[in-house]
Amino acid sequence: MVPVEYYLVLSAAVFSIGLFGLLTRENALLFLMSVELMLNAANINFIAFSLQWGNLTGQVMSLFVMGLAAAEVAVGIGIILVLYRNFKDVDVTVPQSMRW
Amino acid sequence: MVTAPPLTPTFLLGLTALAVLTYDSVWPDSTDGSVLTGISVVGSLASLAAAGWFLTAGTGLATDGVSLYADAVVVDGMSLFFTALFAAVTILVSLASFDYFAGKENQGELFGLMLLAATGMSLMASANSLATAFVALELVSLPSYALVAFLKNDRGSSEAGLKYFLIGALSSAIFVFGVSLIYGATGSLLLPDVAAAFESGLGDRVGIAGVGVLMVAGGVAFKAAAVPFHFWAPEAYEGAPAPVSAFLSSASKAAGFALAFRVFVVGFPLGPAASAGIDWALLFQVLAVATMVLGNFAAATQDEVKRMLAYSSIGHAGYVLIGLAALSAEASTNGDVMGAAMAHLFVYGFMNTGAFLFVALAENWGVGRRFEDYNGLGAEKPFAAVAMTAFLFSLAGVPPLGGFFSKLFLFAGAVEAGLWWLVVIAVINSSLSLFYYSRVVRALWFEEGDHDLSGAPTALYAALAVALIGTVVLLPGFGPVIETAQQAATALFA
Repeated sequence: MVPVEYYLVLSAAVFSIGLFGLLTRENALLFLMSVELMLNAANINFIAFSLQWGNLTGQVMSLFVMGLAAAEVAVGIGIILVLYRNFKDVDVTVPQSMRW
Repeated sequence: MVTAPPLTPTFLLGLTALAVLTYDSVWPDSTDGSVLTGISVVGSLASLAAAGWFLTAGTGLATDGVSLYADAVVVDGMSLFFTALFAAVTILVSLASFDYFAGKENQGELFGLMLLAATGMSLMASANSLATAFVALELVSLPSYALVAFLKNDRGSSEAGLKYFLIGALSSAIFVFGVSLIYGATGSLLLPDVAAAFESGLGDRVGIAGVGVLMVAGGVAFKAAAVPFHFWAPEAYEGAPAPVSAFLSSASKAAGFALAFRVFVVGFPLGPAASAGIDWALLFQVLAVATMVLGNFAAATQDEVKRMLAYSSIGHAGYVLIGLAALSAEASTNGDVMGAAMAHLFVYGFMNTGAFLFVALAENWGVGRRFEDYNGLGAEKPFAAVAMTAFLFSLAGVPPLGGFFSKLFLFAGAVEAGLWWLVVIAVINSSLSLFYYSRVVRALWFEEGDHDLSGAPTALYAALAVALIGTVVLLPGFGPVIETAQQAATALFA
C-alpha cells in the first residue's frame, strides 16, 4: 500500500497549484478552474484517509464535495456571465467601480 | 400526543422557500411581490414562533441536546437561539424587500434564495458533523452570491457578486481542505468523535490537525467577515441591494459564528488541543484584535454611509470574536462570555438590520449614498430618522439601548476571564465607533438639507418599526435573552 504521506504531499501540491493559479490569474474562468483544483486536493485527502482509517466517511464526503463544487461552478458561471454583460470582459481586475 | 420534530423551525424555513418557489413557477411573470412577501413573512414568523416555543418548553436544553440523523445534526439551546435570530432577520428583510424591489422582475427567486439561505443558516447552527457543516455552509453561500448579484443590469451589483463569489469560493476550498486534514488526523467527521480523538491524543498526526484547525478557522472567518477574509464585506455590502446587505451582515455573520462556536467548542476541546500546541483561543485573540481595529479605523475614514456600516460590521465581528478568544480550558466563565457573544449577535441582528434598512429606505427615496446626502432628513422624515438614530447609538453601545447591555456583558465576561487587555482595546474601538456613527446622526438632525422625498413606503416603515422595537424592547427584555444565551452556551461546555 502506498504510504499515506505520499498522498498528503500530492494533495498539498495540487492545493498549492490551485492557490497559485487563483492568486496570479486574471481570467475569471481560470479562477474557477483553480478553485476546482483546490477542492480536488481535498478529495484526494478524503479518499486516501478513508482507506487509511478503513471507514467510508471520507469517500462519501468526497461525493458531497464534488456535488457542491458543481453547484458552485453553476452559480459562478452565472455571475461571470452577468459580469461579461455589464463589463464586456471576464477579467477580474476590470470591474473597479468601487474601491477595493 | 403529537410531537413536532425537533428540527421544525428549520423545516418551516425550508418549506416556506419551496412554497415561494411553487408560487413563482405558477405565476412566473408577476411583478407584484405582495403574496411572496406574505408567504415569506408568515413562514419565517412560524419558524420564529416554533423556535421560541421550543426554547421556552425546554426542548433540547438538557445537557446534550437532541441528536438526529446518526448525530450529524443536533438541536439544542444554541441552535434554537440562532434559528430564532435568523427567522427574525428574515422577517425584517422580507418586509423591506416588498418596497425595495417593488415592480422588479424575478422577485420569486429573490425570496426563494433568501429563505433557502436562512434554512442553511439554521442548519449551520445545528451542524454536529463537519460534513453537515460544509453542506450547510454552501447552502448559505450559494444563494448569497446570487442575491448580491441580483440587480443584473447594475454594474455595482454584479461586481460585488463577483468579488463575494471569488473570495467565498477560495475560503470554502480552504475550509474543506481543513476538514479533510481533520478527518485525516482523527478518522471521523462527527464533532464528538473528533473531540474524543483530540482527547485520546493525536500522536504524530498533531501537525496535520493543527493545519486543519487553522484552515477551518479561515472558513468561518469568511462567513463572519473577520480578518483575514474580510475583503469581500465592504464591496459586497456596498454593491448589493440594501436589504440583501442587511441580511448578509446580520444573519450570515451570526451563522458563521454559530458554526464557529459549535465546531471549536465541541469538536476541538481547548484543553487537549492547547496542550498539543493547537491553542486556538490565542488565534482568536489575535483575530479579534486585528478585526476590530481594522473594522473601526477603516469605518472612521469612509465617506459613504453604506460602506461605513460595512466596515462597522467587520468591527462588530471583532467584538463577537472575544466570545471565542476569552475561552480557556478550565474556566467556569466560558459559558457566560460565549453566551454574551451570542446575545450581542442577537441584538446586533435587530440594530444592524435596522441601520441597513434605513439605507434601503434612503435608496428608495433616491437620496444619495454619502454622509452629506443625508443632511436634513430628520426634519422631513422624523420617524425614520429617530429609528436610525436609535440603531446607530445602539451599535455604538450608548447606555440606554440594547447594544450597550450586550457589549457590557461581553466585556465583563472577558475581564472575568482575565483578558483585560483585550477589553481595553475593545473599549477604545467602541468609543471610536461613536465618532463615526454620530457623523450620520449629525447629518440627519443638525445639518440643513434639501430633498424631494415622495411618500413613506409602508412595508419598509413597518420593518424599521419592528427593528426599532427589537432594539429598544431588548432593553427591559434583555434578561431572558442573555439568560437563554448563557444557558445554551454553558450546555455546550458540559
